[in-house]
Amino acid sequence: MNNNNHPVNPLRRRVINAGLGAAAFAGFPFRASVAQTGDIVIGAAMPITGVFAFAGVGLNQGLGDYCDWRNARGGVAGRRLRYVAEDSGYKMDQEMAIFKKLMGEHQPPAFFGGSTAWAKVAAKEVGQLGTTLTSGVSFASELADAKSHPYHFMVAPTYVAMGEILLEHISRNARGATKPAVAIVYSDTEFGRDPIPGIKAMAQALQIPVVLEVVTKPGAVDVSSEVAKLRRAKPDFVIFHGYVSAPIPEFIKQMREAGMKATPMGTIWSMDKTTVDTMGAAAEGWVGVMPYRYSYDTKDAPMMQAMKEHVAKVRPDMNYISIFNVHTWLAGMAIAEIVERCLKAGKPLNGANMKVALESIDNWDTGGVTGLPVSLKNHQIASGRIYAYDDKTKLLQPASDWIKTS
Amino acid sequence: MNDFDWIALAEFSALGLLAGGLQAMIALGFVLIYKGTGVINFAMGEFMMLGAYFFYTANVMWGMPMVVALLLSLAAVAACAALIERTILRPLSGQPVISVLMATIGLASALAGGVDVVWGGGKNYEMPTLLSRTPLHIGEVMIPGQILWSFVLAALIILAFTLYFRYSKTGISMRAAASDPVTAYVLGIDVRATQRLTWMFAGVVGAVAGIIVASITSLSPAIGGTALGVLAVIILGGLDSIAGAIVAGLIVGLLESLTAGYLGGKVRDIVPYVTVLLILLIRPYGLFGTRQIERL
Amino acid sequence: MRIGDFRESYAHDESIWPTPVQRGWLCVLATALLLFPFGVNGYFVSLACMLGIHVIAATGLNIMTGYTGLISIGHAAFMGVGCYTAAYFAQRGMPFFLTLPLAGGMAALLGLLVGLPSLRIKGLYLAVATLATQFILVYVFREWDSVTGGVRGVNVPSASLFGFELMNDQRMYFLIVPVAALLLVAARNLFRTRVGRAFIAIRDKDISAEVLGINLLRYKLAAFAVGSFYAGVAGALLGYFYRAMTPEYFTLTLSIFYLAVIIVGGLGSLLGTILGAVFMTLVPELLRAGMSVATRWSPGVTEILNSVQQVVFGLLIIGFLVFEPHGLLEVWRRVRRFFHLWPFRA
Repeated sequence: MNNNNHPVNPLRRRVINAGLGAAAFAGFPFRASVAQTGDIVIGAAMPITGVFAFAGVGLNQGLGDYCDWRNARGGVAGRRLRYVAEDSGYKMDQEMAIFKKLMGEHQPPAFFGGSTAWAKVAAKEVGQLGTTLTSGVSFASELADAKSHPYHFMVAPTYVAMGEILLEHISRNARGATKPAVAIVYSDTEFGRDPIPGIKAMAQALQIPVVLEVVTKPGAVDVSSEVAKLRRAKPDFVIFHGYVSAPIPEFIKQMREAGMKATPMGTIWSMDKTTVDTMGAAAEGWVGVMPYRYSYDTKDAPMMQAMKEHVAKVRPDMNYISIFNVHTWLAGMAIAEIVERCLKAGKPLNGANMKVALESIDNWDTGGVTGLPVSLKNHQIASGRIYAYDDKTKLLQPASDWIKTS
Repeated sequence: MNDFDWIALAEFSALGLLAGGLQAMIALGFVLIYKGTGVINFAMGEFMMLGAYFFYTANVMWGMPMVVALLLSLAAVAACAALIERTILRPLSGQPVISVLMATIGLASALAGGVDVVWGGGKNYEMPTLLSRTPLHIGEVMIPGQILWSFVLAALIILAFTLYFRYSKTGISMRAAASDPVTAYVLGIDVRATQRLTWMFAGVVGAVAGIIVASITSLSPAIGGTALGVLAVIILGGLDSIAGAIVAGLIVGLLESLTAGYLGGKVRDIVPYVTVLLILLIRPYGLFGTRQIERL
Repeated sequence: MRIGDFRESYAHDESIWPTPVQRGWLCVLATALLLFPFGVNGYFVSLACMLGIHVIAATGLNIMTGYTGLISIGHAAFMGVGCYTAAYFAQRGMPFFLTLPLAGGMAALLGLLVGLPSLRIKGLYLAVATLATQFILVYVFREWDSVTGGVRGVNVPSASLFGFELMNDQRMYFLIVPVAALLLVAARNLFRTRVGRAFIAIRDKDISAEVLGINLLRYKLAAFAVGSFYAGVAGALLGYFYRAMTPEYFTLTLSIFYLAVIIVGGLGSLLGTILGAVFMTLVPELLRAGMSVATRWSPGVTEILNSVQQVVFGLLIIGFLVFEPHGLLEVWRRVRRFFHLWPFRA
């Protein structure tokens, strides 16, 4: 009610309007929800181009292949899997943009991403949205921590666990009283640096001396000074970590030319057959840890056999399936298993229920993709095997039993 | 061990100086373009990358013998460089520095992306070993064969270019056009052609460097990134001095190797850049660069 | 056709929006910006947030490079400084209206340091010096674990206002857009003052400016400081937006992106900055949309999306430099001139 003696206070009006506005957007619906019928969408931001392109193509194929294969067998609880992927170039802002876009368009219950950086940033969003589980190509130890990343899981051991497997192997095969000396060569990236403190701690626990640590740029050109240092340190084993291929072949070739007899060892991403092929003659003696079977190892492994048959139909000229394809195939298997358990228990597909389903996976037979039955209680697969390069067959053959890590 | 490991020092120093030879060659490419056309070519790394990819295509994909493949790839890069000079640099010739700089940066981006589109990054391309790998053992010092031969090759190429510029007619006319284009025009030198030729030479030098680097590491668009570290070399030596490029290349190579040897590989990456900042503060025109006088 | 635009006082002449028509359009814009997040998909809101951040950072770069002529290829590193500063203090409980200026201030301080050599070195040399700074700062981000978290990165608590948390894109929009508007108006105002005019004089011919009595060192440092302040604030907002950050984000490619934004938009113009930022943010989106359409004819073409983006980016820069050196601003001016003079020809 207005009258000339008491005009409505303009400030009051402004405050009321502001309050209404704030109330309006505070109540704005933020919670998206996953479709409970229809296709199950698996979203992905794959590094198909960029520095990880070598792996990204295979990663992309693996997950798509699994979805096709599973759909041909009736899908998951009668619903089809739909794989929607985009190229991220392994850049965090692209990965986040793809993530937001796919979350907005499809609300996928599962999302496969890229770098550790992405996983950290996405963990916030994922935690808020509460609709999705994520997985990725990075096996950094903090990502397996269910407290800080509750909706993330990985279908491999963490990098630290892999380093532990290598050290275990070294320790078990040590002859005599003196333990063999180990040198670690790693790249100056999150990928490379993540497991180093853990590996050093484990080495100390096993009383294995770490005689040298060498850090290089991921794609280093001139490694001669580093090899000169390695030569002087006289290690028996050299663990390489944080590289997909280069400069490992160059390191090994120069080490051999310098007369070093140390055994070079690698972790998962450098264990692909194509990497070893580029080493040429220097591949002899290459040892490493891998959590899966290779595609040529199908004995007693019905899923590996099925994978081979499917790929032979879809991509007939591809006779070797890289570990990147295997990795995302297994990720697809895990996602399907989680969704199936959730649906069979009659629970709606959301983050909390899928997390429960994830952590309920224990003693899960992967059909031979991994050697031992898998437990995803700790959001990782804690087992792997040592493989060694066999000069005669030019393939990587198992050199130990399947080892479980802590 | 009580005494200082002199042999280690000698080894790191030798390795550094030899690796510096390759850097000096890449720096030569930069200096050629700066001297001839006044531009810092941020796309130098991409010339290297193109050379390596063309060589790979000719040699491995088309199966040609090495020498033929080499000549073909050098010719292709020279043609690309000439095309770039004509279509991009010529229209920008009067523009302020930032425009030309950004044009070369844009070119670098386009070339890197283009190579990725055409050849794809999904495969692990393996270059054939071009330089002999047999190492040279001098006492306890081991010098890997590729480093030694890349140095020898770089030295030969730099020597060839220096002699060419000093004694051949085209070389002298290029130097004339570079130092004073107007007078050169008056004297009948085709300045445009010499600028084009400058770019072609720089392209060839870059291509050779790229092929060597690719055969040492692996073939990927990331080869182009190596060239940014060479900026330190040209700033130290002086943007328009070939002698400076040589000396600075050796110095920076030595510094990098010693840093890698004594301080660890992480620090090695920023040694060129810290060096750049220090030189720019103390002696902006470098060791042998000519002081630029600005007139109103 | 525009007629009757008379200025009757100096103050009116200098004002930023002199005509009623301009003020009207401004109100329309403000309303549109206010209502935007309610009408669109969440993805577009996050795009708008990124756009806001880009606008702030690019404005800073334009102040340094476009208006003062100091080429900087290290802008991304200053954003990183701002981001990590904000993260550090936010983790210790400082509210965002203090961390934002602090982040800007920290970046400005570093900008002063980097700008110190600018008296001795100019043009290309300064560009190379900023390039070196870019790499060195990123190295510091990666190695200084105790403050920046090293390669592992840092978690940024979400910005909060007396308990009201800005924890998703819609809410961040209402922080970023007002800050961007404020900073843009501040920049516009800067160039009404003698400081701004000194910047422009330095760009045009710094020796002449010195002769006219402008203290080169003081104003060049000021330009660096102001430009870096903007970068710092943009970086801090970036940190709040993503709520986590790693050093991999602040690459040379990002610095080059901002240079491209101001060149494509128009050097030395704030409207150009906005146009350039909008254009360069939308181009990858359009490209992505175009390629998903193209998958119908050629499946698998989205796999080379990133490489094609790189090619398009490079060609855009070259294209604008060769054919339209004054950028999108010139295109805009031509369009405006057409409508102002219609039905007469320009």
